[in-house]
Amino acid sequence: MTLAAFSTEPVRSVPGLQMSRHQTAAALALGAMLFCAALLPVTGAAYLMDGRLVNGINVWTKPLKFELSLAVHFLTLALMLGLLKKEARDSRLVRWTIYAAAASCVAEIGYIALQSARGRASHFNADTPIEAALYNIMGVGALILTIAPIVVGIQIWRNGRADIGSGLKRGAVLGLALGGIATIVTAGFLSSSFIVETGRWMNGVRNDANGIPLMGWSGTGGDLRVPHFFALHLMQALPVLGLMADRWAKGRERAIVFAGVTVWIALVAGTFVQALNGNPFIAWG
Amino acid sequence: MTYESIFNIANGAAGLAWVCLIFLPRWKQTDMAILLALIPALSFAYSALVFVYFFTVQGGGFGSIAEVRQLFLSDPVLVAGWIHYLAFDLFVGLWIAREADSQGISRIIQAPLLAATFLFGPLGLLLFHIIKAGKTLAAPIPERTQS
Repeated sequence: MTLAAFSTEPVRSVPGLQMSRHQTAAALALGAMLFCAALLPVTGAAYLMDGRLVNGINVWTKPLKFELSLAVHFLTLALMLGLLKKEARDSRLVRWTIYAAAASCVAEIGYIALQSARGRASHFNADTPIEAALYNIMGVGALILTIAPIVVGIQIWRNGRADIGSGLKRGAVLGLALGGIATIVTAGFLSSSFIVETGRWMNGVRNDANGIPLMGWSGTGGDLRVPHFFALHLMQALPVLGLMADRWAKGRERAIVFAGVTVWIALVAGTFVQALNGNPFIAWG
Repeated sequence: MTYESIFNIANGAAGLAWVCLIFLPRWKQTDMAILLALIPALSFAYSALVFVYFFTVQGGGFGSIAEVRQLFLSDPVLVAGWIHYLAFDLFVGLWIAREADSQGISRIIQAPLLAATFLFGPLGLLLFHIIKAGKTLAAPIPERTQS
């Protein structure tokens, strides 16, 4: 690293700051990942310093989770874009999909962090007209974030590189597309207005204190964040499974990936039904 | 850690950096330590304090003297505001030092400019611009067209 920041030359001469048409979608996805990752330590420090609670837990728990989750999401997207042929990667569709997703990411994280700083809830908050409107806008942002992997998945199916293993390719296509769809279903149900009265809690104590360690899910009743979690991480689990099949089970990639999809979708569906029935993922507390 | 000790640590570290900037030879390592370690550390402390305390101040804001005064009545926000000064003044000081070096401005002249920036931020920046302009005007014509 040099003192390039002090150069009197125009900013566009600084590598990495170029926002021209040559900016690749993958670079932008990595930019969104770094945005989230850079906020993690500051949010972590705020978590340690702040005594305020929302729903019984530290106000900074939620931004921490979202920053971590979206960093993983955009790292996944950046890696998966590498499976596309160059023309597809540079296509208008893919570039604009990633632009829209990155913009949504910055807006979501920005609002979630702002609300935490204000000591207020971001989701499920209809206390003031502005907060109610922003909650709805956040829903649009979340939808864009979830459609992006579906677009990339379909593009890998249609315009994927020829030199990648069939397990990885199948895992990436199915993982991204089905992960996106399953997330829209579970998160859509989680946030939809007809259950907004209960929020994510089904039965059980309507408070986040004493949740299952690390994840924070309710240990006393159903929690719709459980199937949401598994739906999201289909996007990582399946490509990794496909990659492992390519490496260690040549010739059986297809069967392994399909088995993986079946098990994982069953996991999403099972935890979804479990939560709707008001039962905790693990009884706790 | 008390706000007093955060204040003292930040002040001490920034003061040390200014001593380096004004009196020590221009080593690349010192510049890098200031630019890539100290200023980010100050920015980090500022961000965490503002994240946690800014909105806890009732009636605080940037829109009027009364709102700003209200903000500075809160110790953590006051410390954050002070760290804001420290970080940005230091960044400007480092920029002045680099610019002055590349313009061939002597360290003897740089010293009071940097001291002014250290103590009164914008004053030092203003003086630097005036001196730079004066130097350009005083330069022989061919040299002026070159730069």
